[in-house]
Order: sequence, then C-alpha cells, then structure tokens
Amino acid sequence: MKLPRLNLREQPLPGGQPLAFGIGLAIALFVGTLLLLGAGHDPVKIYSRMFEASLGDPDAWSITFNRAVPLGLAGLAVAVAGSMGLWNIGAEGQIMAGAIAAAWVARIGGDWPGLILILMMLISAIGGGAILAIGPALARAKLGVNEIITTLMLNEVAIRLVQWLIHGPWKDPDSFNFPLAPMLPDQARLPTLFSRAHFGLLIAAAVIVVASVAVRYTAWGYELRIAGSSEATARYSGISLPTKVLTVLVLSGAIAGLAGGVELAGTADRITETISNGFGFAGIIVAALALMRPSGVAAVALLFGAVQIGGQSIQTLGVSSSVSTILQAFVLFGAIGAGVFSRYTVSFGNDSLPVNEEATS
Amino acid sequence: MNQPSSISDKEPLSVELTEVWKRFPGVVANAGVELAVQRGSIHALLGENGAGKSTLMNILAGVYRPDSGELRIHGRSHQFRNPADALSAGVGMVHQEFRLIPSFSVAENIVLGSAPPVIKTGQLESDVAEMAHKFGLEVDPAQPLWQLSMGERQKVEILKVLWRDAQVLILDEPTTVLTPSEVDELGQILRRMANDGRSIIFISHKLHEISGICDQATVLRQGKTVANSLPMATTSQDELARLMVGASPAIPNRQKTTTPGQALLELKNLSAQSDRGVNAFSEINFQIHSGEIVGIAGVAGNGQRELADTIAGLRPSNSGTIIMNGTDITTESPHRRFQSGLAYIPEDRLGVGLAPQLSITDNAILRVYRQQRRGPFILGERALSYCKDLITRFGVRAGNLSGPIAALSGGNLQRLLVGRELDGQPSVVVASQPTRGLDVNGVKAIQDLLIEQRDSGAAVMMISEDLDELLAISDRLLVIEGGVLRGEFDPRTASRQEVGMAMLSDTKVSSKP
Amino acid sequence: MNEASLIGLLFATVSFGALLYLAALGELLAEKAGVLNLGVEGMMAIGAVTAFIAGVEFRNPWLALVIAMLSGALLASVHGFFTVGLGAEQVVSGLSLTILGLGLAAYLGKDYVGLPPGAELVPVEWGSLSELPWVGPILFSHAPIVYLALAFGIAASLILSRTRLGLALRAAGESASSTDSAGHSVLGLRLSAVAVGGALAGASGAYLTLSITPQWAEGLTAGRGWIAVALVIFGAWRPSRVGWGALLFGGTLALKTRLQTFGVDFSPIILSMLPYVLTLLILLIISIQARKRPSPAPAALGLAYRREER
Repeated sequence: MKLPRLNLREQPLPGGQPLAFGIGLAIALFVGTLLLLGAGHDPVKIYSRMFEASLGDPDAWSITFNRAVPLGLAGLAVAVAGSMGLWNIGAEGQIMAGAIAAAWVARIGGDWPGLILILMMLISAIGGGAILAIGPALARAKLGVNEIITTLMLNEVAIRLVQWLIHGPWKDPDSFNFPLAPMLPDQARLPTLFSRAHFGLLIAAAVIVVASVAVRYTAWGYELRIAGSSEATARYSGISLPTKVLTVLVLSGAIAGLAGGVELAGTADRITETISNGFGFAGIIVAALALMRPSGVAAVALLFGAVQIGGQSIQTLGVSSSVSTILQAFVLFGAIGAGVFSRYTVSFGNDSLPVNEEATS
Repeated sequence: MNQPSSISDKEPLSVELTEVWKRFPGVVANAGVELAVQRGSIHALLGENGAGKSTLMNILAGVYRPDSGELRIHGRSHQFRNPADALSAGVGMVHQEFRLIPSFSVAENIVLGSAPPVIKTGQLESDVAEMAHKFGLEVDPAQPLWQLSMGERQKVEILKVLWRDAQVLILDEPTTVLTPSEVDELGQILRRMANDGRSIIFISHKLHEISGICDQATVLRQGKTVANSLPMATTSQDELARLMVGASPAIPNRQKTTTPGQALLELKNLSAQSDRGVNAFSEINFQIHSGEIVGIAGVAGNGQRELADTIAGLRPSNSGTIIMNGTDITTESPHRRFQSGLAYIPEDRLGVGLAPQLSITDNAILRVYRQQRRGPFILGERALSYCKDLITRFGVRAGNLSGPIAALSGGNLQRLLVGRELDGQPSVVVASQPTRGLDVNGVKAIQDLLIEQRDSGAAVMMISEDLDELLAISDRLLVIEGGVLRGEFDPRTASRQEVGMAMLSDTKVSSKP
Repeated sequence: MNEASLIGLLFATVSFGALLYLAALGELLAEKAGVLNLGVEGMMAIGAVTAFIAGVEFRNPWLALVIAMLSGALLASVHGFFTVGLGAEQVVSGLSLTILGLGLAAYLGKDYVGLPPGAELVPVEWGSLSELPWVGPILFSHAPIVYLALAFGIAASLILSRTRLGLALRAAGESASSTDSAGHSVLGLRLSAVAVGGALAGASGAYLTLSITPQWAEGLTAGRGWIAVALVIFGAWRPSRVGWGALLFGGTLALKTRLQTFGVDFSPIILSMLPYVLTLLILLIISIQARKRPSPAPAALGLAYRREER
C-alpha cells in the first residue's frame, strides 16, 4: 500500500513561518466565506468591516494594539519558556494571579499618587505571576514533574481564586449584591497614548524587546538556547540545568503576570473573572506560530489581535461572535499544517531500496 | 544435554543465503555473501565491525531488502518485505537494542503482536511459563519487566521470538549485556533449542565465547564470506582471528618523533557503570604523558565510550581516581575539567558536543562565550570573528554562519568541534572516535590535528575502532576488552594480528618492547 | 440537613460523576495510546450542541446521542490528523481544538439557545430496585447514559487489560517503535483511540443537553473538560481509579450548589478548586514514587512517531 510519507527537509523552507501564517489566514477566510454565506451574510461586506474595525484607521489600530498587548506578553511568556523547550500552559492563570496582585495594591493604595500606584501595581503583578509559576518550576527542576499538567491545573485554581475574591472578600458593598469588585481608583489607570491605545503598548513593546535581546544576545539567553537544543551539550559545557529550568519558568510566569497587571490597569474597570479572557491560551498559540522566538511574538500578536478585534466588530452586523472564534481556530490549524509542510516534503510509497527482480527465482 | 550435538553433513539446511549484495550510499555492506546454516545447529557469524554481519542478518530478518541474492529458508525461496514476513517464514531476530516495554509484564512483552484476540492472563502466563521452562529460560511471566536484569530481559527477547515459533533465531551480539555466568547459561539454553530442531545464528566477535557454544562458524570480512561453515571442533581460535582481521598491511616505519615528558593524565583503579547498570569498565590503570598519543583499541561496546565520558566528567565513576596535571579531578564538574586543560571530543557529536538547532557561530563559542562578554552581553562581533578564525584555521567549509549547524556535513561538523576543543591549548585531549564516518580528507585533517597537539606537548588519548588508524598514529597502544585493559603494544613493532587477537580474546597479552 | 437533600446530593454526585467519567474515559484512551488531547472541552461542547439540535430536529434521544458521539469523534479526528498524521505539537493542536469546538458549537447552536428540548433521555425504570430506600433514588433513577458510562468504563478496563487490541493500544502509548516492530500499526491505533476518545467526550456533552440541563446555551460545558483531563492523572491512567475519582470530583460539583442549603459556611468556589489541588498532589506523589518504579503515565505520551527508514 502506498501511503504518503513525510520526510524532514534539510533546512526549513525560507520564510516558511510567515507563509504558514498566510496560508492559515487564507484557509480561514475561505472557511469563513462558507460560514457567512451559510448564514446569509455578504462575505465581502463582512470582511471589509473586519478590516476597517481592526486596521482601518488610527482608532481601529488603537483597539487592535490594546488587544495585541496582552496577547504579545502572554505569547512572550510562553516563548521564553519555549526557548528552553519548556511548555508554560499556565499563562492564563498567571495573568489572573498578576491581576489579583495588582488589584490588591490598588485596594490598599487607593490614595497613593498615580505614578507610584501604577508602578506598585505592575511590580506586584509581576510577583503574582511569578508566585503561581514557582510551584511548577520547583517540581520540574527538582522532581522532573511535567510542567504542562501542573501549570494547566493552576489555571483552574487561579480563576477560582478570582471568583472567590469577587464573590466574597472583595465584593463591592455598593454593587447591589452582584459579585463585582469595586471600580479601580482613577489614578490606577494607565495613561492613554493615542485614541484608545494605552501606555501598556510601550510596556509590552519594551518587555518584548528586552526579552528578545536577552534570549538572543546575552550569555544567559545563550545558555538557555543551548539547553533547549541539547541537554547533554548543556551539561558538557557546564550549564546547570535545574537552575535554568527554575529561573526560566518563574520568569515566564512573571511576564504573564505583568500581562495581567497591564490588562487590569489598561483596559479593565475592575478585576473580573474574565480578566484573562483566554489570552493565556492564545499566547501559547502566538508563541507556537512565532516558533518560540521572542522576537517573532510581536508581529504574530498584532496580526492575531487584528483577527480577534475584526471578529468582534462584525457582531454589530448580526454575525455571531462564534464565526470569529471559528476563524481563529482555522487560522491556527491552517498555520499548524502549513508549518509542518514547511519543514517536511511529502513522498509516496516505500523508501527502501527496491528488490532486484532478476535475482528472484 | 549440554553436549554439542553430532551434526552430519546430511542434516538439511535451514538457511541458505547465496550471492547477497547490499549497498548503502557510499558503502557496499554485503558483496556477494554466502551463508549456509544446518538445521539443529548453532552457527557463529564472525567478523570485525563493518564486516557486514549486521546488514546480512537484517536482510535475513526482513528489516532490509537485499539488492540482489537468493534467500532460502528450509529449502524454499523467500523475499521478505518486512520483519513480519520473516517471522511468518520462521525467522526471528533478537536485536542488540531490546525492544521491550518496561511497564508491561514479561508475558505481555512476549505476546505483543501475536496475542490471541482475548487474553486470559492466567492461561497466558502459564503458557509462557511452560514454554520458558521447556527451553530453560526461567522467567516469572507476571513480573513487570522493569524489575528484570539485563540477562533476564534478553531471555524475554528470546522468548518473544520463540513464542512466534521461529525455527531460525538470530542473536545479534547477545553476550554484551551478560555476566560471565549468564553467558554460560545462554549457551545451555541455545543448545536446548538446537536439540529441539531449531537453528541459531550467533553474531559475535568474542572468540572465546563462541568456541564453547557454537557448532560451526562463517567468517565475513569486508562484506565477503572468507570462510564458510568451518567446524568449530577442528578450528583453532588463532585461525578464526586470522580470518577475521586478515593479512597485515605494511605499516610505514615511523620514527619516534618526540620523547614523552611527564604524566599529564593518570587513571588509578578507575571503574564505572554503563547506562544498563552493569560494569562498563573496571580497575583501569594507565598514564598518558606529555607528547604522546595513546591509542585505545577495542571492538565497540567494550567500555571505551564510557571510559571517555568518565574522564570528561559526564559519567560518575564508581571507584578510583583521575589525576590531571598532578591534581585529583575525579569529582570535578565537566566545565572545571575543561578549564584546567581537558579537551573532549565526544563520540556523539551532534548529541553531546553541539547544539543542532543553533547557529554555527553559537556552536563555535560554546567554550569561550563566558570570556567574550561585556556585562551580560555576548559580544556578537567577537563571537563572529572567533568563529571565522576557527573555520579558516581548521578548514571548515561553511556557508551561512548564522544558519543551523545541523546543515553542515559530518566532516565539517567534526572539524569545527575538534577545532573548538583544541583552540584553548589543552594539556590533555580525549578523542572518542574522532574520525568515524569522515571521508579520507576529513580523517587526515583530524589525525593531523591530533598529531600537532602531541607535538606541541599535549597528552592525547584516542579511542578508535579502526586498528589501522591507531597503528598509524599512536605512540602506545592499549587494548580494552570487556571493560578491562588486555594488553599494551608498541605500534612500531606490533603486528596487526597480535593486537587483533588481544581485542578478541579475554586473556592478557603484551608485547612491550 | 434532611434525608431528601442528602439523597439529592448523592444523586447529583452520581450524575456529575458519570458526566465527568465519560469525558475522562475518552481522554484516558487517547493518552493510553500516547496522544494528549487538550481539546476535551471543545469536544464536549460539540457533543452537547449536536445532541440538542438532533433532539429538536429528530425527536429521538438515542439518535441524538449517536450523532453527538459521531460529531465528537469527527472533531477529535482533526486533532488526530494534525498530531498523529502530521506530527504537530499535541499541546498546540489540542488547545486549538478547544477553540474550534467551542466556536463551532456556538455557531451551530445559535438558533437553538433557550429552546425547549426536543428529546430527553428519561430515567431508566428498574422496577422494585428503584423503590429501595436510599439505594433506589441514588443509584436506580438515572438516565440510561449513566449506566452506559459505567458499561463503557468496564468495557474500557476489560479491553485494555484483557484483549490483543488493548495490549497493542497500551504498547503504542509506551513505545511506538516496539509496537511498530511487533507488527501493529501505530498510526491506526492512535487515530482510532483519539476518535473513540472524542466520541466519549461527545457522549458526555450529550448527557448535559439530553438530560442534566436539558437546554443549550453557550458555555454550557463550564470547564468540565479540564476536570476530565485532571481526572485521568488523578486516576493514574486506570479506568477503575478514574471512575472513583469521577465520583469524588462529581461530588464536589454536586456539593458546590448545595453548601448553602446544608447551612455549611464554606465557599463553594474554594470547594471547586479541590479536584485540581488533589490532582496536583497525586502528580507530586507519582513523581516521587517514579524514582523507584516507572511512572503510570504512558511513556510515549505527547511524542510524535515517524518510522525511521533506511
């Protein structure tokens, strides 16, 4: 039987990953067209609306930027761990932990000057994310416990922690018994850059640049990449693996925590149980599409943010928000598939050398 | 029971291989091999590394397809497309690397792939136990496999093949994982199977072991059959060894270039375990002096690799000490050993010495990046110029220096790795199979580099499976077999044959000048 | 706390336990074959919505259940295609599958939100068994899918431990190359395990919309897919232990809404953290024990397999 078989290319196709993203997008647009036609909408109208709402003018850009900020930071968190071959599936929870820590600072420091308050909020957000990552990091470094499951479980713990806070200790007495935390004080909001884009854009950009430089150009990042490529080579050259695992996972959590703090101070009125809004999971996908390279995260986050914002905008035209979710999923699967094919060639049949027919009796 | 069965020439042949050819890119592994195995006999297949034994047996077991040649099992011609075809024709192979599942029970491992649709555990286990008992392969079928020793695991592998009722069993170097008493036991087990009418092909290069076990021997050299079905009873070990290693090529008369200075590396009673938890080598004692290359000769899998890893600090030692430049480094980290002047060229280049996904430059600076920093940053310019310097000095042909190193050819990879290790003017160089898999130019380049190190006063230890290479470049030659040093030779005077004998036997020999 | 509310609690424990058990069994099968599928939540949602739609359209709960299982299997096969067929990262593909499943479910179900169910799986009549005090209302008054879950669990346990198929499936999750050389198709085993796993997750979703709720709304699955993923670890990849774990975790779900009626002053939200915290503890214990014996986790879990050719 002749089954198609994948063979590893010696070198990935040049530009394979942007191409993969493009193919994913094309597949998504095609499937989206079918879905929209099926629901009786005009695809051209919908798509142009999506474009206008996400990239059409400065206002649209500002909204897309605001979305790209948490996506980019979450993606960076995953990519930093991924540079060493580790999976941080816990960014979702770490974002919430960061938001909790920032919200707590805002509660106790409601009368502090704005600059100090915001600074303290962001610092404690970083700490909150890091704390949630310490357990999985220690377990992985000392006991070899797979970090995928531990970080995944802590997501569910973190979301329930937020729920508990807003149903209990942090419930706003003026909320008519709704489970809502009180509004943040006004000076706890990040300043605006232009239109609706907030200062978090600069923070995210700076952190992504610093992390990219650190991974790419410092000795620390070099050791990280060596360990990610071959553990034996890392040991051979005197790199301590447990220390690296510990620091990298905690740092990854810290970056995700910062995303939570920025999101809270940037776009939210108050802490809610949807504060992380799937950014942590989307961050895994952003990082995977960026091939776990911190430097690639920004571009992917921006495009992904545009897809999300565009998708949201068409709800006003009566298109279900689910269409945008499906479109995102198809971008992902299209990109995953195209990414595989940029690294492999396809051949049919058996590779073994053929039997010489003459020699058989 | 344990007497060799009397085999007459009239006993029918169970396996006949005629004119088998198999080429791989760049190598002819089998060049018209002949093999005939009688029913009910234990047949040794002998040959040095690379003689084509494993290729031939993989063809017989259906793993490879021959380019040409005929294959008959019990008189019937066959063409196997896969191992399952071979098994249904009654040919089963016990590979060197066990294919067992640690968390499964012994019985589950044995029946995997040929279990009845519904498994009654109790019934199955008693069936397995019964079959095991019949052949003297006593194992507990209910025991989880991970609790078993290597010798017991091998029994499970043999039972796996017997369970599928194989009439022809191929054992690929079965004794490498066994203790001496287990080897004796294996011999008895194989005899029982032969008496049961099965044929056993026993691949080995340990002459002393096969002489007690096998009835006949076929010897391969360089892909050809040089001796066909010699009766073991009337053939001496010397004769077999001669057949395996062949005539000595003339060795150029070399002058002693330098006189060795003080001892730079000294091993005292050094022992360590292999990954399988058995002794890899034990009680190793030797010194390497400044200005000499000491060759470690031996057939693969006799502890050389582990010895090199232990000296480099990548494998813990059980006992003994390693002294370098007068200091005890037995418990130092690999990096500290490097800093105090030890260069290590590992056997597994891409796995241990290099990071395959990183760039050529990144790989080039592995030993020096700590020095090429300003603050936390690695100085890109200096890294690049260092890399360029390395590749010009050591003749690495590389295109894009920021492309992944895995794209380089084997020879260029090795030049870069060797160059990087030798760049810091080490006092001790440990090179494990540094020329394996390289083309003629690559081999020459690496050998010249090692000689250059020797001439500039370093102590060089070179492990190789290529005896001719060692005879050509080393100043002293040590032979390792079964993890023990079996002798020391002067390569200027020793014959290829006497060294070869030492590699294959388990007795101490020496020809010290 | 009176007798009626205690019976209600235990009834709900069994009911939620069965819901979780179905999904966890599916995940267990996929993981036993070596494929981690983090798309359980998406597959449950698809099962829930297709069962509800089929119920409304065809008015036959059994047909609805079958359609839900087929839909779950189909969605899971997307994951199978990418991870087993193409060797893509299982984590990334599984998370994408969750997004796809939730999105598709919302899209398909948007016209069915708030509709009354067209078909329901009514409790099985066990005759005098249902009349027994305590036992009757707790164990013998459930929808048939609860007993199906038990049957699937026993079947999975027997198939895994007592059949050639089960042996091969477990082998595929332990060592793909050993399985391949023993003559089994790793590709076939893994793809079918993932598909059957999807069918079971689909059945779990169908239980929600055909019996427990029984309505359709977006977000109906409410993170229970993640509990199922946790359960597989909690139960150390053994169908029986996963079953007991499902009852325990189902108990926390049942208790969550009843704490107040029992007058217990304990946050139901903190209670709902319990499954995850317990799973983390078990994971820690497993890895400490793993120093002495192999971990119960399938050794090849998460690893793609591609046969080396020469």
